Amino acid sequence: MSLDELRRKIDALDERIVELLNERAACALEIGHEKKLAGLEVYQPSREAEVLGHVQRINMGPLDDEAMKRLFERIIDEARRLERIADAAQQNESAE
Amino acid sequence: MVVVMQERATDEQVQRVIAQLVEMGFDVHRSTGALRTVIGAVGGNRVGDPRLLEVLEGVQEVLRITEPYKLASRTFKPENSVVTIGDVRIGGDEVVVMAGPCSAENEEQVEAAAVAVKRAGAKVLRGGAFKPRSSPYSFQGLGEEGLRLLRGAADRHNLKLVSEVMDISQLELIQRYSDILQVGARNMQNFTLLRELGHARTPVLLKRGISATIEEWLLSAEYILAGGNTNVMLCERGIRTFESYTRNTLDISAIPVVRKLSHLPILVDPSHGTGLRDKVAPMARAAVAAGADGLLIEVHHDPDHALSDGAQSLFPAQFDRLMAELRIIAPAIGRSICLEPVARRGWGV
Repeated sequence: MSLDELRRKIDALDERIVELLNERAACALEIGHEKKLAGLEVYQPSREAEVLGHVQRINMGPLDDEAMKRLFERIIDEARRLERIADAAQQNESAE
Repeated sequence: MVVVMQERATDEQVQRVIAQLVEMGFDVHRSTGALRTVIGAVGGNRVGDPRLLEVLEGVQEVLRITEPYKLASRTFKPENSVVTIGDVRIGGDEVVVMAGPCSAENEEQVEAAAVAVKRAGAKVLRGGAFKPRSSPYSFQGLGEEGLRLLRGAADRHNLKLVSEVMDISQLELIQRYSDILQVGARNMQNFTLLRELGHARTPVLLKRGISATIEEWLLSAEYILAGGNTNVMLCERGIRTFESYTRNTLDISAIPVVRKLSHLPILVDPSHGTGLRDKVAPMARAAVAAGADGLLIEVHHDPDHALSDGAQSLFPAQFDRLMAELRIIAPAIGRSICLEPVARRGWGV
């Protein structure tokens, strides 16, 4: 494949990753909502460890397990931030 | 802030730190390294105590990135603050010199000092009526009579007046006479006094405590600013070090540090900073060269018979000479100093 073709392939893959990340984030938001209804903490370390363990188990490379863990830690950190923002917005609404 | 975990910190320890940060309202940016994990914390509701993190197991250190003071910080207000008292502006281009006796002793002495400092180009008369002395047996000041003498001399010679307030009980009285309220080094962390000054609208000159860090000093200024009084000036007056030759060690480096961290005007008191008359002029020159917005200098017509701090008071002739020297130094860094009265007399032309 030529350099241009490879770059086009990267762009196409990125588009899928962005879509999947957002799909995942939307799902995390729903979970956040359910957690709130059930009165559970935003931060659940055991669940996060499960998620990180899962992605490492199914990882086939060439990224190594540690790299995969770091990438997903970042994804989880951002999902938690999204949850906090959504929660704050809801509290503002109910305060008005 | 950044939380650095110890090498070989366990997952559980990292999780406890994250739980604490989430609790405190921070967004977490984990960075898992081969040896150690570093956790970045952004935002936060600022109500939690960062020390709660330091004591958690597995934490190596917690690094704060933002300053604990807000209103005093240059991040909060990028441009320099200028304190205006009538036609005197402190914190602008002009270096403002405040000079006069350590304490008001009698009418003749106050008048002689006012004449001398006005002639040399000072804009503000300094002088104490209530003196915080290290010994209870030393001269304690004339009280209201001293304030009356100082105000009279300042008005006769078109000078503003700065005088020290030691205690809340004196605040109302001194405000009636003085244009600037000075908080002495020993009172820098008298937080009830600082709070009260925050409710006043009279400008405050806040001296640095004798062993205060610059951060503690700016936090004290924050107390006054938080009360709504935005007219705060800082004054470096020497800190206690192991050196015993001079009374204190004048921290000239505090000038550029404060100018970087804060928008508040920074003045220097080389008289208390050194405690020795012959060291006052060199340190005053250094302070102006380093970017001080003003100076606070003790001048006495007869220092050998002064009731307090005679050894660090300049003779009027020495003060004249110093002001002439400062007129050469200030323009070198783009500042001016007492142009009008001096030009009329033809100095340095």
